[in-house]
Amino acid sequence: MSRRGYLFKRVLQAIFSLWIIATILFFLFRMGLPDPTAALVTEGLNAEQRAAIRAQFGLEEPLWRQYVLFLGNAVQGEFGTSFSYRAPVADIVWERLANTMILMLAAIVLAYVIGVPLGAWLSWRRGSRADTTGIFIGLMFRSAPMFWTGMIAILIFGVGLSIMPTSGMRTLPYDADGWWDKILTLDFLWHAALPVLIVALYYLGSPLLIMRNTMLEVYGEDFIEMARAKGLQERDILYKHAARNALLPVVTQLAVTIGLAAGGQVVVEVVFSWPGLGREILNAVRTSDFPLAQASFLIMAAFVITLNLLVDILYTTLDPRVTFQ
Amino acid sequence: MTLPPFLRAATGPLRIMMQDRLAVIGLCVLGVIIAMALFAPLLSTHDPRHINEIEDGSVLQRGAEGWELRESLGPLALNDAAHHGGESIIVGRGGMGWAREGAGDWEALDLPTEADLHAVALTPEGRVLTVGEDGVILLREGGAWLPVEAPEEAHLRGVVWLDEASALMVGTGEEIWLFDADTGAFTEIDSPVGRGFPLQSVALDVGGTALIVGERGLAIRYDPDDGSATLERLGSSRDLNHIHISDGGAALVVGERGTLLRREDADGGWSADDAPDTRAMRAGWIGDDGQAIAAGRNGLIMEWDGTAWQIVPTQSERHLRALLVVGDEMLALGSDRFVSRLLPPSREHWFGTDHLGRDLFSQNVHGSQIALLVGFLGATLVVLIGTNVGLIAGYYRGRTETVLMRTVDVMYGIPFEPFALILVLLFQPSLTIVILAVSLLTWRTVARLIRSQVLSLRERPFVKAARVAGASDLRIMYLHIFPNVLPLVFLELAIIVGVSIIAEATLSFLGLGPPQAISWGGILHDARLSGAWRTAWWWNLPPGILIMTTVLSVFFISRSLEVVANPRLRARQ
Repeated sequence: MSRRGYLFKRVLQAIFSLWIIATILFFLFRMGLPDPTAALVTEGLNAEQRAAIRAQFGLEEPLWRQYVLFLGNAVQGEFGTSFSYRAPVADIVWERLANTMILMLAAIVLAYVIGVPLGAWLSWRRGSRADTTGIFIGLMFRSAPMFWTGMIAILIFGVGLSIMPTSGMRTLPYDADGWWDKILTLDFLWHAALPVLIVALYYLGSPLLIMRNTMLEVYGEDFIEMARAKGLQERDILYKHAARNALLPVVTQLAVTIGLAAGGQVVVEVVFSWPGLGREILNAVRTSDFPLAQASFLIMAAFVITLNLLVDILYTTLDPRVTFQ
Repeated sequence: MTLPPFLRAATGPLRIMMQDRLAVIGLCVLGVIIAMALFAPLLSTHDPRHINEIEDGSVLQRGAEGWELRESLGPLALNDAAHHGGESIIVGRGGMGWAREGAGDWEALDLPTEADLHAVALTPEGRVLTVGEDGVILLREGGAWLPVEAPEEAHLRGVVWLDEASALMVGTGEEIWLFDADTGAFTEIDSPVGRGFPLQSVALDVGGTALIVGERGLAIRYDPDDGSATLERLGSSRDLNHIHISDGGAALVVGERGTLLRREDADGGWSADDAPDTRAMRAGWIGDDGQAIAAGRNGLIMEWDGTAWQIVPTQSERHLRALLVVGDEMLALGSDRFVSRLLPPSREHWFGTDHLGRDLFSQNVHGSQIALLVGFLGATLVVLIGTNVGLIAGYYRGRTETVLMRTVDVMYGIPFEPFALILVLLFQPSLTIVILAVSLLTWRTVARLIRSQVLSLRERPFVKAARVAGASDLRIMYLHIFPNVLPLVFLELAIIVGVSIIAEATLSFLGLGPPQAISWGGILHDARLSGAWRTAWWWNLPPGILIMTTVLSVFFISRSLEVVANPRLRARQ
């Protein structure tokens, strides 16, 4: 199959996946929340106002009409108005998604930048005390729930030493002109440090262990023997010859991880009061803000699928051995 | 000893696992956790849901910033205190008594009774009377405590000396007894009400009369000159608990629901003050200069600042029953059974207690049950679905494979945590929905892995041979191919047990776990919700460590299962 044909097929698949997820989501919400406006009674809306909102979402129509309306609106990026924010859902969701992505990407990059060289080094020292300790620590952070490590980190750095901020993205109050203005400050970095570190420590285990194990496999190959025979330094063999050839499985894992990054780590966002999309979904469904919950989830899924797609395409360029099947 | 071949084949993987030190540790730790779950009711020291209370002879002292907790006087509640000259005496429940000279240390008194003592009074010459439950009356004459026979059965609540020889006692059956310490004779005074209302406290007023207060705002003045008892109006119909009158004639009466009645001097009238809190007040104290203190339940202490009553911070929620003011030193005494909340680890509560006074050790022990139940049940479900989907897709190929694998692709587009959240929130948390939420998406990995294995296995000669021999598809799939992917299945099972345990903990931490169930994530949820987690380290640490240890041990086991499943790894080590 040609490269262009492959791309076309992958994009079609992605659209198909998104449609299926949207359908599942639609029916899940109709099953779980037969009357989403019921939550609005507490907001002090009378029956008439509720009826208007029901009409807006087409809730009086037959189910199939509602479904078509929902899909049509979703395609146009029209998700209605949030019950709790009284603002267009799309605006809220995009900002939250950006917040989630910056947290997740920073953490994933940090984890791989540390994990890959460390894994290579551990494989070189295989069987030693350092190796066992490294594996142990990697697995330990993989086993500890992030909300707990996050709480402990807040206890130590925020409460005990009181040197780190423990919630939010910026010191309040602040006013920023747009999102970038909010991000590009030292204050933001200071706020992001702990949550990024906690997520990075969790992700650290997989590049570390995958790198270590692949390196061990690579050591058995002939070209390593060859390099040794040439009298190259162990260090050069490790980082220049072996590591390069062991990178592929790590990159695969990185691709999968980035692909799912938009899903975020809800608990980390909750613990650090990080205004991300995961925390928004939790709040939305808790307050029965169904337009927001529905749209957040759909956009999140769309982002995951798009990331998966991009990563797949990038992968075919990175590794020529991947065939277009 | 020779083993049959199939047993020997089974011991092979086990031997490999036994060579891995980490796997052995993992197996041992997991065994301990499983035992913990199975024997949770036996192992836990308390009922994990029971709200624990303790009684304590609590002493709070007024410091610069508020009332500070001092070293307790014994394990029993302190009910009343009195002092005269240099001597102070405290009495409490279970015949407990404490005395000190000046500002010295408190010494336990050896009182000849086990009954609860409710009131104590001293004379300038050192005579002491203490009265309590079941008509117990003790008189200290010289250095010895002598029991005095009560004229009839009564529960006495208050005592006051009218002069060096005679004292007035009041009780819960509206008893008013005049006691002559020289002769030991009692005179029963007729109450003007006579309906058996409990009387709670009595104090000496200026001019030698005594003022008695009791339930329903009852106030009775006794005049020793003519022996008469007359009803007095204080302006409240609430139950009155305590009265204190200063030497100069200022008076304070405290009662239920924040009742505070104050009289500025001997001639003044009574006024009902606005209390900033409506809890029951049990003790009051007022000085000649108008300074006043009232103490009550849950560590509530209010002070009169000249214009209004102010709540003063106290270091404890103990129930306060008495006030002792000696010079500049002010003590508040208690405490009946109070909820032992947020206690650090002790011998009674190994992991301390939470904000409701529940035992955290027992909660942590019980938490293992849900973790393992969801962990293993969820993982079994996941592996069951994933393996079958993988087997069928890999074996049949063609359209079946396309449909199944596209489904898996779609599932990779669904973020796990948010999906689980939405599922649980939409369909009310229950054990079933939590297990479902944990397992509904996780099988995607297993299906992909098993399928890729089956794809290569189905082309092997032994499968072709089976097919030629006329074996059915099901037979080939489950009898020929399946045993070959079994190590991989076990490996995935182990990994997913760990994933499920973390997923359950996560849902519980967000408050979406199985309702009513005690789980490790739920303990951390409570800790975070209560806000006390920032100080109560004993609340945060154990559940997290337990989750980590359990998942870690499962991962160690899975690592050595990986060696079993993948012989190439064996050669490497």
